[in-house]
Amino acid sequence: MSTANLRSSEPYSLTIDLALEKFGLAIFLGLLLLVASLVSPVFLRPANLLNLLTVAAPLGMVVLGQTFVILVRGLDLSVASLMATVAVLATVFKATSNEAIPLIFVAAIAFSAMVGLVNGFLVVKRGVSPFLATLATMIILQGIRFSYTGGAPISTLPPGMSTLATGRLLGAPINLWTLGLLAVLLGVMLHKSRFGREIRMVGGNPKAARLVGLSPDRVTILCYVICSVCAGIGGLFLLGYVGTVSNWVGQGYELDSIIAAVMGGVALSGGRGSVFGALMGVAVLIVIANLVILLGLPIEAQQIIKGVIIIGAAAFYRTRLS
Amino acid sequence: MSALAVVFHRNRLMSSYLIVAALIAVLLVSGAALSDRFLTLRNLSNLFQQAVVLGLVSLGQTFVILLGGIDLSIGALVSAVTVALASFLEAQPDMIVVGLVAVLVASSAVGALNGILTIALRVHSLIVTLGMSSIIFGAALMYRKEPGGSVPPVIEDLAYGSIGIVPYTAIALIAVYLLAGLWLQRTRSGRMLYFVGGNYESARLNGISVKWVTVLVYTLSGLCAGIAGIFLTAKTGVGDPRIGSALTLQSITPVVVGGTILAGGTGGVFGTFLGLLLVSMLNNLLNFSGISSFYQWVIQGIIIILAVGLRTPKRD
Amino acid sequence: MSDPVLNLKAIEKYYPGVKPLDRVDFSVQSGEIHALLGENGAGKSTLTRIIGGATKPDSGVIEYCGQVVHWRSPKQARDAGIHVIHQELALFPELTVAENILIDNQPRNALGFISTSAGIKRAEEALNRLGVAIAARARVQDLPLADQQMVEIAKALVGEVKLLILDEPTAVISGREVDLLFDNMRRLRRAGIGIVYISHRLEEIFEIADRVTILKDGRVAGVSAVRDLTRESMISMMVGRRLEQIFPARPATPSVGQVVLQVNRLRAGPRVKDVSLSVRAGEIVGVAGMVGSGRTEIAQAIFGDRSIEAGEISIGDSPQRLDGPRSAIALGLGYLTESRKDEGLFLGMSVAANIVAPMLGAVTKYGLLQARMEQTIAKEQIAAFSVATPSCGTRVHNLSGGNQQKVLFSRWSRIASRLLILDEPTRGVDVGAKVEIYRLIRELADKGIAVLMISSELPEVVGLSDRVIVVAQGRVVGELEGPAISEESIMNYAVVSTERGADLARGPKEITA
Repeated sequence: MSTANLRSSEPYSLTIDLALEKFGLAIFLGLLLLVASLVSPVFLRPANLLNLLTVAAPLGMVVLGQTFVILVRGLDLSVASLMATVAVLATVFKATSNEAIPLIFVAAIAFSAMVGLVNGFLVVKRGVSPFLATLATMIILQGIRFSYTGGAPISTLPPGMSTLATGRLLGAPINLWTLGLLAVLLGVMLHKSRFGREIRMVGGNPKAARLVGLSPDRVTILCYVICSVCAGIGGLFLLGYVGTVSNWVGQGYELDSIIAAVMGGVALSGGRGSVFGALMGVAVLIVIANLVILLGLPIEAQQIIKGVIIIGAAAFYRTRLS
Repeated sequence: MSALAVVFHRNRLMSSYLIVAALIAVLLVSGAALSDRFLTLRNLSNLFQQAVVLGLVSLGQTFVILLGGIDLSIGALVSAVTVALASFLEAQPDMIVVGLVAVLVASSAVGALNGILTIALRVHSLIVTLGMSSIIFGAALMYRKEPGGSVPPVIEDLAYGSIGIVPYTAIALIAVYLLAGLWLQRTRSGRMLYFVGGNYESARLNGISVKWVTVLVYTLSGLCAGIAGIFLTAKTGVGDPRIGSALTLQSITPVVVGGTILAGGTGGVFGTFLGLLLVSMLNNLLNFSGISSFYQWVIQGIIIILAVGLRTPKRD
Repeated sequence: MSDPVLNLKAIEKYYPGVKPLDRVDFSVQSGEIHALLGENGAGKSTLTRIIGGATKPDSGVIEYCGQVVHWRSPKQARDAGIHVIHQELALFPELTVAENILIDNQPRNALGFISTSAGIKRAEEALNRLGVAIAARARVQDLPLADQQMVEIAKALVGEVKLLILDEPTAVISGREVDLLFDNMRRLRRAGIGIVYISHRLEEIFEIADRVTILKDGRVAGVSAVRDLTRESMISMMVGRRLEQIFPARPATPSVGQVVLQVNRLRAGPRVKDVSLSVRAGEIVGVAGMVGSGRTEIAQAIFGDRSIEAGEISIGDSPQRLDGPRSAIALGLGYLTESRKDEGLFLGMSVAANIVAPMLGAVTKYGLLQARMEQTIAKEQIAAFSVATPSCGTRVHNLSGGNQQKVLFSRWSRIASRLLILDEPTRGVDVGAKVEIYRLIRELADKGIAVLMISSELPEVVGLSDRVIVVAQGRVVGELEGPAISEESIMNYAVVSTERGADLARGPKEITA
């Protein structure tokens, strides 16, 4: 009697469904790792893996933030521009001593939060489409940044900044610790907290969310703020890794972050996705990049493979949805 | 309610046109005040030369956005076209026509592929064209890492030559936009964009072959990218795999500023043309005023916000 | 009686695990209005899709105008003269009426370009055949729903239509608009067109249809001339059993308590002009009225989802200025909206998540959700409301319409401790589930909750309400209590005012006509 009332005979439990999705992604990642290790026996060595993860960490931070925005049916194209602007901001203090580092962090986070508020305000209170709003922010940030630097790279940074990025704590790079911390915090927030549930509801059905007493506006703006703050932090760590501040720090990260999120099962239509999935998406991107090098393919092949994979992943998730 | 407010309320499109026209007027006045070289024919033809590439990709983007989609591969495609054309003509400087035709066919084919994938895989065009952009970019990069190649003077003439005082670029731009406008408003296939873009489900239920329309639109976008690529090659004289990377997002500005909304179904090329005028005139003006190009970016961003934010009412 | 326009013989259709149609015979004469009746899931929509060419039958024969046909696409069927008008109108809101009527068949001029003026003329011809005064240049989204439906029908008239299928057309119109629709249907019938009329509303079938085919579980339960049937015999054929009582009995001694909701001279937007009403604890107040009379807007204003321009709303003894649904919920109000898919459910989320949606605070500790608490509450509600679902973690998307509605019921009744507003509580729900929902509503009232029930189904309003308020053009035009409640008395109030109101709304041109 109960099954007769069901529309379809699909696997019907939400948890089983999600598990299948993550499983599929994990299998794919596993296959990639297998291939990579076959091509190059040193691939699976901890040192190499750690290295890969360290490089990927800033992107991972950005992807975490982007996930939140995509969950509420948005997009943030300004993340890369924000990363670079934060990097430039870091040099404004013209500091060379490590005591300035906390100040730099506070300034960076405050600035990023402000940008997130602007994005959120434009989208929520003025009804501008996220694509356009964040495009505009991206351009404006670019302009501000270039007019300050005059286009030239800067290198007045406290030496501690690069230690922050590449230095180690208990054997693992600080980069990675930060990503891990962020992932745990945001993961718990998204999957276990009330706010995370609200995010899913707002992204799944904004009208219904309002009618059950939520505030879709507030939730959406907060997501944009989270995204920008993550991007800002990512910018600082990327900067430390690179050493000098160019105007193009993080170039391409906005599209890469969307690619990684989509690959990780975060649906552009909103309401579906997980932190774990998003991180897996980053992992897949990074492994592919490395695989390309290992296979002796030209670096440009990375782009081609990325393109094929994002189309394939999206098609895969589409078939799961229907 | 005042008459103006009634117009705004009733017809969103008209109000967009009015806002943009007003902004253009402001620019004209500022320009004339700033420099007496601004309102000269010389400067005007210069304007068209600058605007032709952006104008063509914006046109292609208009079709796609009217349908409710987006083409993020346009920039990469333009770059690839410059690489292909410049490389081919460097090796075979006599086979100009062959080169041009081949490049147009190829870019249209890529566009068609975008459309086919969007339909067949049922994936949003954002993702498909994003992926395609990566693929094309990688391919172009693999073929030629640095700018190179060359073009015979005949081609360069495309970008810089003119009939009397009217540059080829102006003729091309206006002709293409007129044709496109005519097609969209007055032909059966053109109107289909408005049906499919306005309400996909209704279009399907009414027996319109949405698949065919989708493929057509993306093919046209690819074609526009091809033509743009030809002009760009003519302007710069070389093929450069990175040259178009900013074009993708830039191509969206005139469309959106001109009143076509990203959801599709309303708008048209007239609006895009107005938007194009606005953006090009702005760049021109800023060049005159000596404001560094860095600030130009800031102002472009503000223009987008103004044009879009002003006409979109605060949601309930 | 002429040859049948349409003759379906032994049509069958299978999907994995389910068989929507099992040896169905169905025939429609030209110049006949043939009703198709059946519960949700009986096979009506599958049959419609087969007739319209959107699906192919797995076995059986389709004869159209005397010839066997195999439709390859809906377009083919349409070109042959079969037009399906779906419940969700297939229109293009941003385009003009003329473009909507002609779609891709717009007339061209000598140069091959579309001629807008010729198109307008052709569209006006079709509209005149229907006898409606709609401007061909108007944008469809600016028209009221009833006019939009007329545009759909005009679309069918442009070609050579022989068979017209109307799927629940009166779901979104009522009163005078339905009269207009029926007039047009009779006109089309006289012209020899065969009409298939799909509806849940038995009164309408008695009014307009010549014959009726009743489907049950994919089989034909009966075919008959409408005048040979009674309401009871129709229902028992649909449901397969005698329904003793659709509506639960009212308690012998009504235990009605204090006034919970008091609305005074409410004005909220163009649709709510001057509304005063009250609801007491334990009473079911039905709100009847035409579509567009403003009932949903009243509900929205009470719940805080619509800003109020004038008037006062009191909950209990104290007047309130509700600034949003959150405050309403905190005061013990609940609102089950008209459209469960658009405004009620989170389709991609679990049954449990949907149930606790307005009460997240109750399942949160230190900011974290307590899964066990959520599950406990969900299971309680699922049991109390007999929601048929494999588990509380099932995605709501997978449940049937009736069960989805029950999930929403269980959600709101948990937290609506004082007032529950219901807007079309049994829309899109089959008869079996309807009976259950009526019982649930009565139970809630008996527990002391004040119930404000908006419904366009008069039998429902009459069968369930202790008191009825009739709304028209944004005003309360009548109040009925106890034995005075009947479909006729309600319609009397609703119709009289609306006609006048409609005349006034249309403008001077139409009044003199």
